[in-house]
Amino acid sequence: MEVLYHQYKRRVFGMAHRIVGASDAEEVAQEVFVRVFRGLAAFRGDSALSTWIYRLTVNAALSHLARRGRRHEVGDDGLTELPAPPVTERDSALATRIETALAQLPAGYRAILVLHDVEGLSHEECAAILECRIGTCKSQLHKARTRMRALLGPDIAARVGHAP
Amino acid sequence: MTTCQTIQRQLTAYLDGELADEHGSVVRGHLRECAGCRQVARDEAALRDGLRTLPPIDPPATLWAGVQAQLAAAEVADAHQPHWRRIWARWTPWTRWAPTLPQFVTGGVVAAAAIAMVTWRPHRSDESPASPAAVVVAPASVPATAPLHPQEPPQPVSGGTDDVTADLLAEPARTTARYDQVIEELMKLARSARTGWTDERKAAFDAKIAGLRDEVMRAGPGRLQQRAQRALIRALQGALVRDDIVLASGGMR
Repeated sequence: MEVLYHQYKRRVFGMAHRIVGASDAEEVAQEVFVRVFRGLAAFRGDSALSTWIYRLTVNAALSHLARRGRRHEVGDDGLTELPAPPVTERDSALATRIETALAQLPAGYRAILVLHDVEGLSHEECAAILECRIGTCKSQLHKARTRMRALLGPDIAARVGHAP
Repeated sequence: MTTCQTIQRQLTAYLDGELADEHGSVVRGHLRECAGCRQVARDEAALRDGLRTLPPIDPPATLWAGVQAQLAAAEVADAHQPHWRRIWARWTPWTRWAPTLPQFVTGGVVAAAAIAMVTWRPHRSDESPASPAAVVVAPASVPATAPLHPQEPPQPVSGGTDDVTADLLAEPARTTARYDQVIEELMKLARSARTGWTDERKAAFDAKIAGLRDEVMRAGPGRLQQRAQRALIRALQGALVRDDIVLASGGMR
């Protein structure tokens, strides 16, 4: 049991942290591991163990947000461009700004970005975890990245030193 | 002629290498000519790379202890569940995602009301042949054994559903009582465990438990009180797990 915990603790906690925020991440991660350990005997192997654990994580995180009245979400009207740091700060500042922008996205967008872009899962895996079609998954990812670009402001590439 | 909007819709797939050759070629051709879309593509690539290189977030050291405490609390709660509930849960695993208790109670009340309404109407219409006129015009095909006087009004079905509703409404109180039992059991364990603690730890434990008990007392009956009770259970389990008392007794795993 402990081996499984250590194998997945970073990913589960990281996903929960980025979807529900720092203050509630531990509570969500605890809930996920309790569900995993209590449900392990009934796990039928319909999907990979990792897919099942990530699905539990995403569901627990989204349910947690729903219970808390989606207080972290903002609608389109709430999208405000984050102030750009000086060009010299580059990469380190971008990571912070990306985390801040991520926290401002609607929960569904956060989930797909975390699964696909941060955790590096394939569209097939994301679709299995989010229980949606692959096409929906791709379209959600596109919309989520577009929102992120809007939040981060123009010329992200120049600030991270991407070649023109 | 491909528009910028069309190209920008395909950029995510293009940058992730998911576009087929001919579509990829169209996007590349457009990007060669359109500075605006080139900029968008660069930004999206930078964003994707930024997301991929975000540092992992380490969980706090307390996470494992918290998981163990919750597992222990869940097992203690399991032990206090009636046998039929455990059987029910085993055969209906989906009920783990079933509505919460208040939703269930509300649903039960609505369902009971609906059943009462459906079952009421036929009985009311049965009363009409009881009037003298109706008896006179009763068809000859009515069996001789058919009663000519109005039947005793049927026992209202709602009497039965009231029992179910009352049972459901009493569930929160039962849960609170069950939590109280768990708390008392854990307190007993904690009392025997604390003899081996330092004075400092005893003081910290007593203060924490007193605070949580106050919250339980302050919260009115209902979900808030149950939440406070759960917090108290978690705190007690946390203290016990640290001492490995529960682990040693084999109650954790």
